[in-house]
Amino acid sequence: MNRGGDVAGRLKDKYAIVGIGQTEFSKDSGRTTRALGVEAVRMAMVDAGLRADEVDGMLSYSGNDSTDSPTISSDLGIRLNFYMDVNGGGSSTEALIGLAMGAIEVGMCNTVAIFRAMNGYTEARIGGTGRQTPVFRGASLDQGIYGMNSAGQSFAPSFLRHMYEYGTTSEQVAHVKVAHSKHASNNPKAYYPARVTVEDVLNSRWITKPLHLLDCCVETDNGSALIVTSIERARDLKQMPAVIMGVAGRVSKPQAGYHWTRGPISRVAGHYAAPIVFGQAGIEHADVDVTGSYDAFTFTTTLQLEAYGYCAEGEGGDYVSSGIIELGGARPNNTSGGHLCEGYTHGIALVAENVRQLRHQADDYCPNWQNGEHTYDYSAGGCRQVKGVEITHNLGWASPPTGSSLIMRRP
Amino acid sequence: MAEYLGVKVDIASNDRARHEFLEAAGEGRLTLQKCVECQKLRYPIMTACPFCMSADSNWEEVSGKGTIYSYELVMHPIHPAYRERAPYPIVLVELDEQREYPTLDDGLRLVSSLVDGSGNPEDIEKVAINARVEVEFADLGDGLALPRFRLSDDVPEHELWRLPS
Repeated sequence: MNRGGDVAGRLKDKYAIVGIGQTEFSKDSGRTTRALGVEAVRMAMVDAGLRADEVDGMLSYSGNDSTDSPTISSDLGIRLNFYMDVNGGGSSTEALIGLAMGAIEVGMCNTVAIFRAMNGYTEARIGGTGRQTPVFRGASLDQGIYGMNSAGQSFAPSFLRHMYEYGTTSEQVAHVKVAHSKHASNNPKAYYPARVTVEDVLNSRWITKPLHLLDCCVETDNGSALIVTSIERARDLKQMPAVIMGVAGRVSKPQAGYHWTRGPISRVAGHYAAPIVFGQAGIEHADVDVTGSYDAFTFTTTLQLEAYGYCAEGEGGDYVSSGIIELGGARPNNTSGGHLCEGYTHGIALVAENVRQLRHQADDYCPNWQNGEHTYDYSAGGCRQVKGVEITHNLGWASPPTGSSLIMRRP
Repeated sequence: MAEYLGVKVDIASNDRARHEFLEAAGEGRLTLQKCVECQKLRYPIMTACPFCMSADSNWEEVSGKGTIYSYELVMHPIHPAYRERAPYPIVLVELDEQREYPTLDDGLRLVSSLVDGSGNPEDIEKVAINARVEVEFADLGDGLALPRFRLSDDVPEHELWRLPS
């Protein structure tokens, strides 16, 4: 296997995520992205047990719908030795974790807070808000002018081609929503905590065929943050570190922009990220206890798990409908309920959830979850901690041709 | 002023290639950039050749015939220009030229609209993978036009496939 160049394990186990923080998921935060970002970063620092003078790096990503690091750090009295605010949505989280490791490794800073703060429902929606005067210009003349204007509309031809090539069905991928709703029912933070059935998904209205409403994720207002530092510093902090084994950031297909000319279009970027991240971590799929495959849509989870090799090419539909990805299954995916049910912050919350799983501190309805005590009863309103988690894998998605990846373990 | 479906089409004055592409369409020709060095066609409009990095290209007229490689049927429109046009298909058309290059999975594929003889969205029941299509042009004004596709009478190479209902 091509391990993606001279990367195998050089920084494996040398960095960790030591703090996580999240505001509530809502459709009416009533607050600025500045307030959301500050709360999330502050919560992550408190979680890690870090003072303002112990964080000296900051990274954020957005689509010009956030507040920048200079503002967030200033509000918290943090003087930065390094910061960048990059343009990007999904799959940016894992990429920025890698950049944070690099910045620390070369000595630019010691401890980096990464945040995403967005009013994804009340201010900047994925398909637009309809508040601007429409105009067709630039690259929108390649897609937008033909009525392809949202993420779902942009991804749908790739999903349909997978159905054509492999016989993947709407019913199979509906199981992703069913599984994630089961997980959300045990997550007090989830925006949609109700369990749904395959029939509920198939009977929900069409958005753009082959996507039903319930194949699409929720849009929410939320701020989330993570803190990355070296394993040496991590040992002195409050929480058990989530140790980083491998990371791949914004890996693209042969044509990252207008990707349809290079196929197979049903094969997504994880195909190229898998050898990098598995090569660094030096593990096999069977070693992974929990996955976090980005679920902007039921199909994105499916196609990524397949691209990363959790099943054979074309068998994603079988894999996600087999029960494997549900709590109680062999390798649950998005135990928080993910973007489909918990809320949407462009992937950062999916990494935070895997940190919780590694700590054995999923914040479910078990009375003593903070002490790592769980019932492992996955009935609604119960537990969502996977028993004995040692290794997790996040599969970040931007689009069919761009994705990121992160493998973490318990110390 | 150029416009499409009641929405302004604003082409930057320094985007010469896009002007030329839409001007050719205005004359009823679908033209693609062809690399002067490696002689390969490319789409969409690019400023260098993705196969050999050459910066030089000429326009070459292509047949405008192709096959639906994939599609979607938009039931819930988002863009104001499309609010009155739903349900409407978006098709990914693979042109007959330069198929399976540079690998067997690649080709010249265009995101486009599938319209009927009146220029309205084609009946969504008729849209299928492997259906044969041909280009047509929607007038934008100012001598420009937008390429779109309609179903053709050609015999499909492979069996038609539709999303099961």
